Amino acid sequence: MFAYYVRLGFKRLRRNPILTGLMILTIAIGIAASMSTLTVLYMMSGNPIPEKSERLVVPLLDNGQLENYIEGEEPPVQISYIDANNMLQQKYALRQTAIYGIAPVIESVRKDLPNFFTDGLATTADFFPMFNVPFLHGGPWTADEDANGTPVAVLSKAMSERLFNNENPIGRSFSANDRQYRVVGVIDDWKPLPRYYRLISGASTYGEIESMFIPLKAAFAQQYRNNGSTQCNGPRSGDGFEGFLQSECTWMQFWFELGPHQSRAALNDYLHNYITEQKKLGRYQRPINYATYDVMEWLEEREVIGNDSKLQTILAIGFLLVCLVNAVGLMLAKYSARAGEIGVRRALGANRRDIFSQFLIETGVIGLAGGVLGLGLSFAGLALIAQQSSSMETVATMNIEMLLATIGVAIVATLLSGLLPTWRACQVKPAVQLKSQ
Amino acid sequence: MLKMNNLSKVYRTQMIETHALRGINIHVKEGEFVAVTGPSGSGKTTFLNIAGMLEELSSGEYWLDGVDVRGLNDNERSRLRNEKIGFVFQGYNLIPDLNLFDNVDVPLRYRGYPAAERKKRIEDALLRVGLLSRIHHYPAELSGGQQQRVAIARALAGTPRLLLADEPTGNLDSTMARGIMELLEEINAQGTTIVMVTHDNELAARAQRNVHFVDGQVIDIAEEAASLLQSFSHNKAGAPAAATE
Repeated sequence: MFAYYVRLGFKRLRRNPILTGLMILTIAIGIAASMSTLTVLYMMSGNPIPEKSERLVVPLLDNGQLENYIEGEEPPVQISYIDANNMLQQKYALRQTAIYGIAPVIESVRKDLPNFFTDGLATTADFFPMFNVPFLHGGPWTADEDANGTPVAVLSKAMSERLFNNENPIGRSFSANDRQYRVVGVIDDWKPLPRYYRLISGASTYGEIESMFIPLKAAFAQQYRNNGSTQCNGPRSGDGFEGFLQSECTWMQFWFELGPHQSRAALNDYLHNYITEQKKLGRYQRPINYATYDVMEWLEEREVIGNDSKLQTILAIGFLLVCLVNAVGLMLAKYSARAGEIGVRRALGANRRDIFSQFLIETGVIGLAGGVLGLGLSFAGLALIAQQSSSMETVATMNIEMLLATIGVAIVATLLSGLLPTWRACQVKPAVQLKSQ
Repeated sequence: MLKMNNLSKVYRTQMIETHALRGINIHVKEGEFVAVTGPSGSGKTTFLNIAGMLEELSSGEYWLDGVDVRGLNDNERSRLRNEKIGFVFQGYNLIPDLNLFDNVDVPLRYRGYPAAERKKRIEDALLRVGLLSRIHHYPAELSGGQQQRVAIARALAGTPRLLLADEPTGNLDSTMARGIMELLEEINAQGTTIVMVTHDNELAARAQRNVHFVDGQVIDIAEEAASLLQSFSHNKAGAPAAATE
């Protein structure tokens, strides 16, 4: 009977085209408004690395001076190089990395291009496997190259194409800030949404990745200043770049990747002990204060998903509800005009369940039509949102899950809104209808 | 085939009670063609609705083909209705969105026949009412008489034991009405029991038996005539009672 009811549903779409069209349009508009906003929220708030987001942890340590201490204050959002270096050396976790932004001037290899500034990142070899960075050519540099500060580089695909066209550049060199870097790897298309590994400073949260990655020590060798936020409260122990490195300024972002058997609690103990040890060396004047965040907690902490987006979503869902209430009204009108048919069907042997199934499936067909049209309108809505800015462009795209969800939501929402009209249809008293026809 | 004993139907609202049927006794035998007559509001249609299980009875008994319908739930009633009864209405009550094939298909769908069986029954039924060539037409493309023929085909497709017809010719001119009546007689001759409500005395006269309703009560014309005759023979001096209509 299901196929029969579906066929009747489609047949019915063609009858009473104005009322049916209005219903479909009402549902479609509600679906489009809510799903385009939900898509943006979903893309913004999605887990960028679900396979290990709970094992990737940001540590924050309060190394501030005692004089400005306010009890209960959160630790700074970045850490000092002293701590970064110590933790890199101690290798507590499966992997660990520190990162900071650099802005080198690239000397163009191609004669037709002038020199240009670019966004880069100084980090360690662990960065790439930690964040599951995909490689088009080559791979990360080695631990030795990290230790020696060898001038090697991993390039983004765009940068590789810019410098070397479409050739494989592994082993070739280019010049950045007057130093030759040998290319060891080219990153394939990699667009973490959001760009969770570097939420402080850098390009926008939903922007492109950096175009050049080099070892920390190679960056230090050229005294690359931090291209990002730096906070210095305490006195410096020395001058120049070396003095900066040995200061309590916080300017690096740090990540741990916990091994399968390492717990957050154990990491917290490690940090507690680490600060206790550092206190013995005369650092960490404040009471012990640290925090850890896994990827999703970090996104939450950094308020990556703005309250505006949440409000927009609530409004959009509210709008969908209003549309559905309208659809209920239209359906009531449409179905009450069908009382005669219901009477005939009942007289010819349909029981209440048959009528319920027929009308609910018919409602589902309207929902499907509303969903398909809504999907089209959603794409239009997303195209509009994408025009707002380039970072919106990245999130205003519908993946297959959202696409199926749109159709699904349309059908389920329509079915729900069809329950009352369908129930009313089942209550029709056939005897009354048959005589009045 | 159809047996009602002391059957009553009362419509209740907060203000009033309306007695549509008052303890009627009707017995229709297999293969009979019974015409139900009576003035408007006498309870004919209520009787037909209860006979078709489209309405509940208030008290009394109703046996349909040996089944006591009082204890049946919605499902069982629907099934019994689908299997035993065919309906023909005054207003034809075809579904306008569906072509003739799909209209006749409706009761067969609820019966759960396989597609091939349904197709055969639909074609046979439409052939029987002379409309097979219009099988893909829609009701609006047919005349009133033709639409009523389709309704009869729909009622017949499931080979019901009992055909309930409510003023089947009420919306038709006399020529078309005669055609429909002939069709019903032919169907009856082939064994289907028919109970037909009608205002038309001429048509009623063609039925084997007439049941007359007055104010929710039944006056079986045959019995009434017999008793009148009897009282006439007993009381030769008295004037004959007023003739029944």
